[in-house]
Amino acid sequence: MSTVEARPRQRHGQRQGPRRDPRQHRGSSVTAWVMLAPNLLLLGLFLLVPLVWAFVLSFQAKRSFGGGTWAGLDNYTRLLRDDVFWRALLNTAVFTAITVPVTVVAGLALALLLDKALPGRGVFRTIVYLPIVVSTLVTSLIGLLLFDESIGIVNGVLADLGLGAVSWQSEGSLAMVSVIVMVLWTRIGFAMVVYIAALQDLDQEVLEAASVDGAGKWARVRLIVVPSLRPTTMFLLVVNMVWSFQIFDIVYVMTNGGPGYSTTMLVTYAYDEGFGPARNFGYGSTVGVVLFVLTLLITALQVRSSRKQDG
Amino acid sequence: MPTSEHGTTLRRRTVLTGGAVVGLGALTGCAGLTERVSSTSRGARDRLTVQVYGTDTETGIYQQLADRFAQEQGVTVDLTVVPFADFATGIDAGLISGTAPDVFRVDYPTMGLYSSTGQLLDVTEALGDLADDVPAALMAAVAHGDRSFGIPQHVDTSAVVVRPDLLRDAGITSVPDRLEDAWSWEEFADVADRLSQAAPDGTTPFGVNWQAAGAFRWLNFLFQAGGHLYDTDLSRAVVDDDAGRRALDFTASFFERGWVPDSTSTKSATYPDALFTSGKLAMLFAGNFLLPAFADTIGKRFEYAATYLPQDQRQASELGGNAIVASRQAVNADLAAEFLVFLASPEAMGDFCSASVLLPTRASLVERGLDFALGRDLMPVYADQIRTIEDRDVADVTTPTFAEVNVDLANELEETFLGGRPVDDTLRRLSEQVTAGASLNRASTA
Repeated sequence: MSTVEARPRQRHGQRQGPRRDPRQHRGSSVTAWVMLAPNLLLLGLFLLVPLVWAFVLSFQAKRSFGGGTWAGLDNYTRLLRDDVFWRALLNTAVFTAITVPVTVVAGLALALLLDKALPGRGVFRTIVYLPIVVSTLVTSLIGLLLFDESIGIVNGVLADLGLGAVSWQSEGSLAMVSVIVMVLWTRIGFAMVVYIAALQDLDQEVLEAASVDGAGKWARVRLIVVPSLRPTTMFLLVVNMVWSFQIFDIVYVMTNGGPGYSTTMLVTYAYDEGFGPARNFGYGSTVGVVLFVLTLLITALQVRSSRKQDG
Repeated sequence: MPTSEHGTTLRRRTVLTGGAVVGLGALTGCAGLTERVSSTSRGARDRLTVQVYGTDTETGIYQQLADRFAQEQGVTVDLTVVPFADFATGIDAGLISGTAPDVFRVDYPTMGLYSSTGQLLDVTEALGDLADDVPAALMAAVAHGDRSFGIPQHVDTSAVVVRPDLLRDAGITSVPDRLEDAWSWEEFADVADRLSQAAPDGTTPFGVNWQAAGAFRWLNFLFQAGGHLYDTDLSRAVVDDDAGRRALDFTASFFERGWVPDSTSTKSATYPDALFTSGKLAMLFAGNFLLPAFADTIGKRFEYAATYLPQDQRQASELGGNAIVASRQAVNADLAAEFLVFLASPEAMGDFCSASVLLPTRASLVERGLDFALGRDLMPVYADQIRTIEDRDVADVTTPTFAEVNVDLANELEETFLGGRPVDDTLRRLSEQVTAGASLNRASTA
């Protein structure tokens, strides 16, 4: 295994190497800013401005037409008493708690399986990855076709097998299952590809040495492969958690948040309030702000935890 | 890489200058950064922009009418077709940003929002003649105060489409063929029970078309029971009364007794017409606008007929349909108003409705009778059914916040239909939300 020597930390005020010409330094800075400017401009315009605007709107009573009026904490007070918001938060948490670990574990399992020299490995990889390149709208419509309670393919197959119909659309927990299945179908392929790329970088000599020392397949995976893939796992956890908190399209098309509020998620609720018939921009923004803060907190906690583990 | 300072400076200057030129060119060429980009756009003095949604047949006839108007006036009419689900988002954004199309189609439940907030062109004078030929209840659907803000181009309503073969199997040999003979709720329940017992496996007695934006069709049952959503001056909810209780008890029994599939509740993401065309339902509460689709998808697989909605204390059916309105920001307001007058003319309205199998709002066209492209034997039932709409029914569904109330209906009704929530709780919640909407209505009108 290659090792990297730790570079001594530079003391405050201590300069290293030949002193740079100030004019050259200033010129490099200007070049850097010019290069960064287009991205910074776009980020500011399409990310920061809407973000700040959403914060401002969350303190206003604002509907689609006419000016907003200052509402103080009214929207946040309503949020705390809003049963649908708490239901949406719970649904999002449950959805995230199921989809994220299953995606990561299944992605790793498939990557380990398809990293071997199997016949038709490319074909299998493509099949697993294919849902990623399909529009989520198409995926959602496929989900609708599969899980329609009356004329869906799944219940059709169950009927052919002599089994009863399953209430995919009218039973809350089953509706959630149908959404989770379709989301996993779109995400596992991505996790698999990322893990396969990371597996290519593993030091094969270490794995061979472990084999020589008598470590079995499961021991090698558990004690060498999984720890070595920690940065990749961390990346997948963060990305999938953010995606899960932002789930919208598949829910919107497949269940419309129902039955009742069984599959209503934070983003679908924010959308319904802000852009649905209510057109309540103020309250919709409030739900969005809460979602933003939650996502930020969870991501920060994960990054911090990862840094601690890395020592 | 050159190391001399001179060489480096020249290289950097070259890079910076080149970058600036390229960047400027890119910015100039990129419309997204130099001019407003919107899914909607305003017209010009001699160009109208028009946005519609609808079936292929409807949008096809819109295009023909637009071409005819353009030819007669020597102008250009740019017609854009959008999905119904997207129309309001685009129009809202267009109205706020000043890029709304000059003329657009809008459903009656959403109409109140635009007319009450001053977004639409006042066409009271331009359409003065129309009011003489259109029932007052329908003109009220496009009015705010005493001013008109569009043309009620057509109306839709529901009737019960039945499969005579399955009804015969259940021992029901005839269905009401006169409005006054429509089934009572008790008779309808008896029919549903008999269908439950006799229908083949996998077939359910009926489905109701109250999904998503159609949630307001539950009001048919409320109105039939003698109830209403608002009091007469639209200041508070009155849904939490005996009529409301009777209507919700009756409709909740559809699910409790297995008369309708559970997947056809008010928040369902799918519509029951697909179940009917696939032979899974014996009866369907269906709008007349579905008849062309039925003709296409059912073909000759099975026969179907239409009968009237059941009645209780009175007969009632919903005001469905769409209006055509012009934006107050239209560049050439006169041209936009002229286009509305053109679409409201007996000839254009007749052509549109007969081709699209929709009911015209002009009484003269109804009396004359249109030569519908399809469903000639079924349309008289719908034409009769539309006569049961009363002024107060229209007032209930055209308030500025009715689109919001419609969502509340879908959410709250489903809690009872599928969640088993007590009827009284649902009515109380609905009442609170409708009254809150009434406050907003007053605020928007003030």
